[in-house]
Amino acid sequence: MPLPFLDDFRDRSQVRALLGELNARLEGGPVRRVMEVCGTHTMAISRQGIRQALPPELKLISGPGCPVCVTSNADIDRFIEISLLPGVIAATFGDMLRVPGTRMGLSQARGRGAQVRIVYSTLDAVELARKNPESEVVFFGVGFETTAPTVAAALVEARAADLTNFHVLSVHKVVPPALEALCAAPKLAVDAFLCPGHVSAIIGPEAYLPVAEKHNMPCVIAGFEPVDILQSLIMIVDQLNGDRSVVETQYNRVVQPGGNPAARAIMESVFDPCDAEWRGLGVIPSSGLSIKREFSGHDAGEKFDIDVSYSREPKGCICGSILTGVKIPTDCALFGAACNPGHPVGPCMVSSEGTCAAYYQYEI
Amino acid sequence: MCLAVPAKIVEIEGQLVTVEVGGLTRQASIVLLPDASLGDYVLIHAGFAISRIDEKEALETLHLFEQLGNGDYGSISGPQD
Amino acid sequence: MSPDDNNRILLGHGSGGKLTQELIESVFASRLNNPILAQMDDAAIVELQGRLAVTVDCHVVSPLFFPGGDIGRLSVTGTVNDLAMVGATALYLTAGFIIEEGFSIGELERIIDSMSEAAKEAGIQIVAGDTKVVEKGAADGIFITTTGVGMIPAGIHISGSGARPGDAVIVSGTIGDHGVTILCQREGMNFETSLKSDCAPLGRLVRDMVDASPRIRSLRDPTRGGLANTLNEIASASGVTIEIDEEKIPMRAEVRAACELTGLDPLVMANEGKLLAIVAAQDAERLVDTMRQNVLGRDAAIVGSVGHAEGGKARVFTRTLLGSRRVLSMATGEQLPRIC
Repeated sequence: MPLPFLDDFRDRSQVRALLGELNARLEGGPVRRVMEVCGTHTMAISRQGIRQALPPELKLISGPGCPVCVTSNADIDRFIEISLLPGVIAATFGDMLRVPGTRMGLSQARGRGAQVRIVYSTLDAVELARKNPESEVVFFGVGFETTAPTVAAALVEARAADLTNFHVLSVHKVVPPALEALCAAPKLAVDAFLCPGHVSAIIGPEAYLPVAEKHNMPCVIAGFEPVDILQSLIMIVDQLNGDRSVVETQYNRVVQPGGNPAARAIMESVFDPCDAEWRGLGVIPSSGLSIKREFSGHDAGEKFDIDVSYSREPKGCICGSILTGVKIPTDCALFGAACNPGHPVGPCMVSSEGTCAAYYQYEI
Repeated sequence: MCLAVPAKIVEIEGQLVTVEVGGLTRQASIVLLPDASLGDYVLIHAGFAISRIDEKEALETLHLFEQLGNGDYGSISGPQD
Repeated sequence: MSPDDNNRILLGHGSGGKLTQELIESVFASRLNNPILAQMDDAAIVELQGRLAVTVDCHVVSPLFFPGGDIGRLSVTGTVNDLAMVGATALYLTAGFIIEEGFSIGELERIIDSMSEAAKEAGIQIVAGDTKVVEKGAADGIFITTTGVGMIPAGIHISGSGARPGDAVIVSGTIGDHGVTILCQREGMNFETSLKSDCAPLGRLVRDMVDASPRIRSLRDPTRGGLANTLNEIASASGVTIEIDEEKIPMRAEVRAACELTGLDPLVMANEGKLLAIVAAQDAERLVDTMRQNVLGRDAAIVGSVGHAEGGKARVFTRTLLGSRRVLSMATGEQLPRIC
């Protein structure tokens, strides 16, 4: 039984033909450097073996697309400290469980008695609060604009149901300011962006106009199947070859002009923009989401006063250069040896979709 | 943070729907997609429907490659300039 | 026989006295009945001649009961399959039970019934057992350890280190059924599915396979860590490269759907009624035909081939849709659902 709207975009003959087309457009031309900024794209590219199938004229670089990877150690430590408090149930997506903080990760915190529960949906975390009225349920709000609306929806529900024991520690971030910050960086050697398909379903293609117009960067919003990624790369190369820099949507079966207004409205009713620290990139203005005052009763940052002055970023880690595409994992002295998926040192190895993790798993 | 899967809405009960993919079913919320209808294919992310899937556009994307020789992409560009 | 609040395991049941005696008679002996067990000596006496295979397995699966099986069935089939993977016909099993105080006796009876059924299916006898009870909280309901003994017919030499360049790689059926069934039962997943664990004894299938080809090099059942781990173990032990074609791997739509939704890789999901076979290329088609005659091998397929180790490194690759190769590495730790 084929899976609808997935298998159609994995057709072998289409994929081979697209690869042929891409090669034809690149052959003998200048080297093109394309950066993707979505952890799911990082994984898809590695898993589908795309990098290995490309000619030397196209370099695919992974940017800061993994929200887990760009969460600072201080934020991680804060959540871990909260999880260790008596009476707290720490709820999180599976992605966060093995992220190491300065002293320990959630996995180790669990070993020390912290109640940590993996949830598939934020609504499951709200349900935990409902079922455990004597506990404080704290959800770790990590993710970009695909996920932030689901966390906002959970907060709306918690407030409506008067679940005073449900809280969110928000470290959510938004993508367009990070793209602008990258464009403004002096060392960035990137010719075009492969834009995140599902973030774009929420924010709409218009969000990338400043990047395309002000910074002359072709932006193509791409889906995640092999046909999608290859088509998107062809569209990017066509823009570069034609000296254009516009926003195009390859993923138009999902991404509409205007994005998803209902999702954005819920997000905007719960969150305010704030400055945020992106691991490896520093503080980017207006790139984070903080919980509005109306919902402060559910803001874990308000409720729990945690001292994380001990937080440190790991030494020897060049994740900052990797996240900006300046270096690749194999350039790092720690890669594979001191830093590996079983024992990750820096953010790029930490999440299973981080650049270094993807390289380690699929490409070495 | 983008793992989302196309699934079909097979039942609606207020803001909760039952979606089906590959014979597997799960409940999902349509709070973020209030206009979703029975029979729609939607993208499910962390238990929420976040977008409808436009079947016509999907077919166009697939047929597109047949026109590849002409390098004709006019029809699929989103808002430009 | 339904679980009853008054019918629970007490610490006294493990202390070796009258309560233990009653438990053994009413729950275990009546269900696992065979002449050797009935002797009730401190050790079981069996007579065997030839090459013996011996194995041990600890079972801590949670939840204890799942679609397609339970910890009891798993403890029997898991050990029978370990023996089958070296070409041995399983004969006798022993079983040790560590039970948490307060465990429902009704559930214990269900588990032993399952073991009895699985034993009959596999053609083995459970000839010795032991039971201990630990305080509430010291065990997750029940842990079962099984040891198995089997005979290897003369001339059979099947081992993980036997794979050679040129050999074919065969799987006996759909991959990931057990792992995904357990995943869907996991608290909070809330996936509804008709998927069942594939938990089954493979002894008969292996005997048919060995009859069909004297050139089977390796057999492995891809349990924890799935196909990925098993292929890497064989590649390592044999010092070869293995390449598989992901499009050729048989997989149920529900398994694929669950893996898409949770971001998990079906190639690392556990299987409890499937095997991987490495066989000389010339016998591959005939072997697959033979396997398909057996209900447990009806979806058997050739999925890849063995090659020389490259640059001295024993590795496993997947041939992708694009025609490129990417590494298939071992699973790293606990498989967690993700949303990224």
